[in-house]
Amino acid sequence: MNTHPYLRAYMAGVVVPSLVLLVVVTAYFFARFVYQIAIPIERAIVFPMALVPSLFGLWNMFYLWLRPRRHLPIGLHGALLPFVLAPIGITLATTLGFLQLGPNGALWFGRFVIPYHEVAIAFCIGLMVYYLVWKYLVGFFNQVIGIA
Amino acid sequence: MNDQEIKDLLKQSFGQASELERDLWPQMLRRMGERTTTVPWFDWALLALVVAGLLLIPGTIPILLYQL
Repeated sequence: MNTHPYLRAYMAGVVVPSLVLLVVVTAYFFARFVYQIAIPIERAIVFPMALVPSLFGLWNMFYLWLRPRRHLPIGLHGALLPFVLAPIGITLATTLGFLQLGPNGALWFGRFVIPYHEVAIAFCIGLMVYYLVWKYLVGFFNQVIGIA
Repeated sequence: MNDQEIKDLLKQSFGQASELERDLWPQMLRRMGERTTTVPWFDWALLALVVAGLLLIPGTIPILLYQL
């Protein structure tokens, strides 16, 4: 009987970013409609809403495929994902026009400048967050769904 | 052949096979105990670093929210 392990891996992978998306969308809407910060939400939300969950699912499928060949702990496997996500996110943000890379830092939505050293720190924090999220949350959902 | 005879025949056929050789409850308890995960100090340290980083440099929060 085919138990569709890759489909289950995809499903286990998309759970966490889908839940986080609720927080992100709430934060965006509060910023946009409560605090009247003029940010083009419809363009900015494409990446966390459409691409990130799918990439989490695909990355978990890749983990399942990779496990018998070259086993890497799931936390470290997850910590590699930002190296894939960050270039895609930056490319998409610059293409959609809400991120400009200037000499002093990254200009978001034409009004917030974040210096590059803070972007680098954010990336390092992201690596740590991804490590913990994959080790404990995605790993837990993999166990629940029977592919751990 | 009545119901009782059928029951007896079924018991004869499957009675031996369905009997457990040992008590499975201790094994079940052991497995339940194994599932409690202990978080190593390294992961607590990482979590503390993440929280400290977000508190000290709040500008990183929207970048993280965008990436997650």
